[in-house]
Amino acid sequence: MACRTACQMLQRRLASSAATSARLSSAELRSRRSSLFSEEQARQRALYPRIEKIEVQMQGPGLQGTLLVMNKGLSTPHSCARHLSEWHLESAVLALVDGEAWPLHKPLTRSCALTLLTFKDTNPLLANQAYWRSCAALLGQVLQNAFKDDFTVELLKTPEVPVTSGAFCCDVVLDPQLDSWTPAEEALHSLTRDAQQLIHRDLPWEPLEVAPPVALDIFAHSRCKQTEVEELAAHSTSGTVNIYRCGDHVTLSGGPLVARTGLCMQYEVTALHSLGQGAWGLHRRVQGLSLPQQLQAHHTVWRKLRKRAMKLVEVTPSSANLTAELPSESSHLQDPALPIHQ
Amino acid sequence: MRLTLRALISHGRVARRMGLGPESRINMLRNILTGLVRHERIETTWARADEVQFYAEKLIDYAKRGDTDEKAMQMANFWLTEKDLLPKLFKVLAPRFENQSKAYTYMARLPNRENLDRAAMAVLEYKGNPFPPLFPAKRENELTLINQLLKGYREERAQLSGSKP
Repeated sequence: MACRTACQMLQRRLASSAATSARLSSAELRSRRSSLFSEEQARQRALYPRIEKIEVQMQGPGLQGTLLVMNKGLSTPHSCARHLSEWHLESAVLALVDGEAWPLHKPLTRSCALTLLTFKDTNPLLANQAYWRSCAALLGQVLQNAFKDDFTVELLKTPEVPVTSGAFCCDVVLDPQLDSWTPAEEALHSLTRDAQQLIHRDLPWEPLEVAPPVALDIFAHSRCKQTEVEELAAHSTSGTVNIYRCGDHVTLSGGPLVARTGLCMQYEVTALHSLGQGAWGLHRRVQGLSLPQQLQAHHTVWRKLRKRAMKLVEVTPSSANLTAELPSESSHLQDPALPIHQ
Repeated sequence: MRLTLRALISHGRVARRMGLGPESRINMLRNILTGLVRHERIETTWARADEVQFYAEKLIDYAKRGDTDEKAMQMANFWLTEKDLLPKLFKVLAPRFENQSKAYTYMARLPNRENLDRAAMAVLEYKGNPFPPLFPAKRENELTLINQLLKGYREERAQLSGSKP
């Protein structure tokens, strides 16, 4: 009797664990994550039931002394840019709120000083790094949705690569059935076309700062993502994790992403390299090259950069701590040993 | 039958008429040229600056002959009304342009004068003057995304070519 109930309990537990590990189709997985994201977003917005005003001091060329009165918990730097002009809207990539990098669609919560960053500032380092990160996130989204439901795709933590390395990378672990698959030119072309369709749809990257349990719930079906959530939560100062949604794909990121996919202009997936067996299977590195709308390259220049982007990008441990070390990176750039070219 | 008088139509005539007559024109240009030699950058109407540019460059060509040359000294003496500028012309301006053969001056347009006449203004200067440049050289920002990618590309090329031989 006790044995039978024990057996039933065991069966039920096995069945429940099988249900959680039962493969949802990728569309169902995406819609589940997206709906959980929307719920959390609505919950965070409902924390400000009454509209309270905050004062936002605009800083930047030609904007000194502009004071905007915005809504707390509702207005974003994007809405501040809408009050200024269309040029500010088109060119704004990232915002600096009291010196802190702030995604453009994240709501402002207190009175602050706001600077809108563009790609053509005197110091666009933050914007460049955010752009590189966003291109990698876009690549991750494309890879997640590119394969048929029979094959699993696990996106690993996107390595932080400096822009001078020539290509952004997305580390991925494909299904074991695809271990011997090397993509042909057409495969990379089709990935590029997927990415360019996403760019054409001009989807915004919606940021959300969540507590780790919520993030763990969103990524419930991916053990790899859950470890990444735990890692990020351990490293962050406030213990929260930043997740971004683009379309219906939810992704984690170590730093701020740019405002929308439409900012990218020239985008190409250049290569796929195998890194060897890792913790989760055969690690692959997919590399790409992209340039924003405001900084397009002539096709001759693009071809040369693209050829360089096909080579494997090594991620050194020092470049992995890039976001924490931006001042030292800038001093490395002004190294007198390197020749400055006009 | 010719119905028009050639003297009254100035089609194709390139010589400008300034002041009260040819002598007045030369005196005016002399004064402006003296001012240019003294200050090395002056602001006048566009037409006067255009006229003076020719004489300014010719004066430098004469000054290059040296102050022992009789003709050069006569020319400089005529054109510079303030005689303390003669040593400056021969000892400062002539050596400055000894390696150049032709263009010693820059002329740039300015906004029209605010008066009723709305005259077109220009600034005329001798090259090598101590003031900030009229056409500042715009350096491209080294830190933009595309320049950073190109920098990485150049460094890699240099590394590869350095390690090859």
